[in-house]
Amino acid sequence: MYVYDHYDHAIVKQRNAEFSDQVRRRLSGEITEDQFKPLRLMNGVYLQLHAYMLRVAVPYGVLSSRQVRKFAHIARTYDRGFGHFTTRQNIQFNWIKLAEVPAILDELAEVEMHAIQTSGNCIRNTTTDQFAGAAKDEIDDPRPWAELIRQWSTFHPEYAFLPRKFKIAITGATEDRAAVRVHDIGLQLTERGFDVYAGGGLGRTPAVAPLIKSGLPGEKLLSYLEACLRVYNRYGRRDNSYKARIKILVAALGAEEYARQVEAEWNALDQDAIDAPYAEIARIKSFFPAPAYKAEAFDQAAFDRAKAADSRFARWVRNNTLAHRNDDHISLTISLKPIGGVPGDASDAQMDVMADLADDYAYGELRVSHEQNIILPHVHRNDLYTIYQKLDAAGLGEANVAQITDMIACPGLDYCSLANARSIPLAQDISRRFEDAQLSDTIGELKIKISGCINACGHHHVGHIGILGVDKQGVEFYQILLGGRADEKAALGAITGKGLSAEDVPAAIERVVKLYLELRTDPSERFIDTLGRLGRDTFKEALHEPA
Amino acid sequence: MSQPNSASAPQLITAEGQVIANDWQLLADEDAIGADGAYVLTFKRALADLPTLNGRYGVRIEPGDDVRELIPYLDKIALVEVSFPGYRDGRGYSTARILKQNLGFTGPIRAVGDVLRDQAHYMLRCGFTELLLKDADPEGVIAWIKSLYQYSYQSAADAHKPVWALRHAKTEA
Ligand code: SF4
Repeated sequence: MYVYDHYDHAIVKQRNAEFSDQVRRRLSGEITEDQFKPLRLMNGVYLQLHAYMLRVAVPYGVLSSRQVRKFAHIARTYDRGFGHFTTRQNIQFNWIKLAEVPAILDELAEVEMHAIQTSGNCIRNTTTDQFAGAAKDEIDDPRPWAELIRQWSTFHPEYAFLPRKFKIAITGATEDRAAVRVHDIGLQLTERGFDVYAGGGLGRTPAVAPLIKSGLPGEKLLSYLEACLRVYNRYGRRDNSYKARIKILVAALGAEEYARQVEAEWNALDQDAIDAPYAEIARIKSFFPAPAYKAEAFDQAAFDRAKAADSRFARWVRNNTLAHRNDDHISLTISLKPIGGVPGDASDAQMDVMADLADDYAYGELRVSHEQNIILPHVHRNDLYTIYQKLDAAGLGEANVAQITDMIACPGLDYCSLANARSIPLAQDISRRFEDAQLSDTIGELKIKISGCINACGHHHVGHIGILGVDKQGVEFYQILLGGRADEKAALGAITGKGLSAEDVPAAIERVVKLYLELRTDPSERFIDTLGRLGRDTFKEALHEPA
Repeated sequence: MSQPNSASAPQLITAEGQVIANDWQLLADEDAIGADGAYVLTFKRALADLPTLNGRYGVRIEPGDDVRELIPYLDKIALVEVSFPGYRDGRGYSTARILKQNLGFTGPIRAVGDVLRDQAHYMLRCGFTELLLKDADPEGVIAWIKSLYQYSYQSAADAHKPVWALRHAKTEA
């Protein structure tokens, strides 16, 4: 993975010095909370319902074992013993003290991490495919490009006060695991360079981004992004924060006109001054080699014996692993969605376990997925059973990846001051209802995504089943959406009927699932496919009518 | 190396860190232009009057104004004031860069309005040459910025070389 040089270190250090001073001024009363708010938000410090929260950037979701161990240490020392992995591939610490933030930032800097631009109306952490560099269907590795964007966007002086926050996602594979078309800018790497999508997003006005340029050469990526941002910075709406995202501008202008303006701005830029030279791209790429794969033949017989002896292991292999480009290896997903647990939470002890496993069996590397799980991207298949046993002993052996209990849920009303409704307890209720492993396997792939308000941090629009918390005269209600998806066939779910109470949601979902099992042509037809074939109306009744 | 305290009385400071006097006067659209003196015209008035005016003027650009409309009159413009009605409105940063880097404007570019020390660094990087800074110690602010921000990742409109250029600079013998 990328390793800081002295320039990178200096930039983080200068920022920490500045922010520590701002914290000091706040604590001494030199500045008020009102004056401090924009400053802390520039550095990922939020005031939540009950405490300060610190959001730490995990650049494009890539972590070293050392960094994960540092998270464990921070969780233990400064928080209540856990951290929360987010849908932005970041981590949040929900119970920190403001006075300790400078110390935490210094600890993070030791492992080349920071909280820069994890909040505010600026360019946020670029997200990407959690299987980058490992997946079989990858055309080009997105990580070096994400790092290039990270550097270019860090303290970009022109784009620190955009109309709204700005999120970029990149994928380099044919299957889009990064949901690029629901981002402000989505980048798809192809053999001919980048296809650029602009104006996607969730929130109040969800939109799937249209293509604005294809075949953009990688060496021109930064100047082109600069032009995209400049048009947005100048013409994005600032009169209404709900209409300030780039999707509103692109929809108002039309994709063609936005693309034309970007092109004109791009041609007027001094591209050579902006675009890093080939030598720099090559330097960054050199940090992302394939691991030095263990040269050990895969022992199929032993593997089969372990699976036959331990059916839970067999299930875990079936659900939580993905084929690797190296046949002796495999990518595995550690589910942070235990039955009845808080989606995305990991305790300090669990983080230590994952870091140790990464060191012992996975070349020291981990990833965070936007689905709030942890990935060991490169694992030798001979080590799978040992890894599984250690994970299971740490409460990390859940075998539910991409299944109904592998839900995305935002923090919701348990933490978030913007929330209308709780997300976590609802996720826990649904999880318990589908606890049965056999049932879960029978259902197969089904993605539920829950947001506690219209801001859609839980990506409810692109859930096969989306759940949106709303507030009706002080009572929490949930609207159910059907038919969303975030993959390469990105589509937005539609609200079906009136809202349900928290108690009614799990049963309603159960009815929908039951109907799906009755109607599917065969077990290979996934929920989303059956829904596509028969239409939402078929399922609408099941949601609202007790069967 | 502590950040200086803020105060509300704005003072004009150059990018080099010198406090200077403001000789310019903003004219309301209905006010007549005097015989001598240095006048700043509103954007609307500049577009209407500059075609027929002789002499050189300042122009005040508000966030929604398109600086490129001034292209035909650049030789009559001696100063540009870019207004920040609130620090959160970042359009002025693009205005300054376009003015300096795309239009080749070489006169002073001044940030006015809600100009605070926490944004001063970004402003200087975008090509502002003068800041009407709301701060009791504007010299301290500039000195503090220079000591704090040694490196920048990206090129903008100031003299900072992007880090990639430093990384790949030919080492001299
Ligand atoms: S979706 Fe709403 S409730 Fe959930 S984290 Fe985002 S802002 Fe908070």
